[in-house]
Amino acid sequence: MTDRFVYVTYIRTTPEKLWDALREPEFTRAYWFGSWQESGWKKGSSWKLLGRDGNPSASGEIVEIEKPKRLVMKWRGEKSPEQQAEGYSTCAYDIQALAGGNVRLIVTHEIDRPNSAVIRAVSGGWPMVLSNLKTMLEGGEIPVTDRMSACSPKQAGEAVRA
Amino acid sequence: MPDRFVYVTYIRTTPEKLWDALLDPEFNKLYWFGAAMHSEWKQGAPWKIVLADGRTADSGEILEIEKPKRIVIKWRNEFMPELKAEGWSRCTMELEAGADSVKLTVTHEIDKPGSKLIEAVSGGWPKILSGLKSLLETGKPLGDLAPVRADAG
Repeated sequence: MTDRFVYVTYIRTTPEKLWDALREPEFTRAYWFGSWQESGWKKGSSWKLLGRDGNPSASGEIVEIEKPKRLVMKWRGEKSPEQQAEGYSTCAYDIQALAGGNVRLIVTHEIDRPNSAVIRAVSGGWPMVLSNLKTMLEGGEIPVTDRMSACSPKQAGEAVRA
Repeated sequence: MPDRFVYVTYIRTTPEKLWDALLDPEFNKLYWFGAAMHSEWKQGAPWKIVLADGRTADSGEILEIEKPKRIVIKWRNEFMPELKAEGWSRCTMELEAGADSVKLTVTHEIDKPGSKLIEAVSGGWPKILSGLKSLLETGKPLGDLAPVRADAG
């Protein structure tokens, strides 16, 4: 049985700008509460999500990459022994260009087991991260303090765990 | 077993502005593809969504309302027989103030598995709430969300 989190958001931007925003470290830090990713961004490349303290929050590898449409990675949560013990989840980004200068982004994060700690954590984190991403791509500012602390201390903790 | 759709979005606004954006039918039309909710917004008051062409899409009543924090609506589809036959669902909108944004959680649920209504609203809510966030943050709605046709390049 699979545990899965799916989030769909519509953003006023181009597939290319969204693609860059999903990978570029400085941009990523601004909407992902100080986190960024390290990868060679090729099929089979290793991949890491680093927290703002430099410690890995998640690690894995690139499973599929098709610019600017689809990116799939193997993702193991590294924030707790419980997450590590669950092994690899899969995170897929699917990007579709829409009429009207908009883009649909679907994030599907799933793991081949029920009641997953990783899926529970990312279910709280993705809506915050993707809300920030949408704000920034549509021209809004994420205040510097907020880049670190999310909406409240409790929510920031959830984001960091994600 | 209930069927349920949950969507969370963080919007850079105040709970009061978000509350007004949710309840004002003229504002609704800007991000809800021309549709609007109509109600006196009191507990027990009737509630409906009217489409741009005047048809009633959904109807029901206000089960709970606490400004500017929480609205619970008893909700039945009215214009698609297969969905109408499923009877009453429940839609909860919760607003939580943060430092400079508001967490909006929409939970739409029905007391049966494999619901076509929940499937339908699962496609609709992300469009509506993405448009609402854009409108409140940038002053502009998202506009057309139809896929780009392959033959249009």
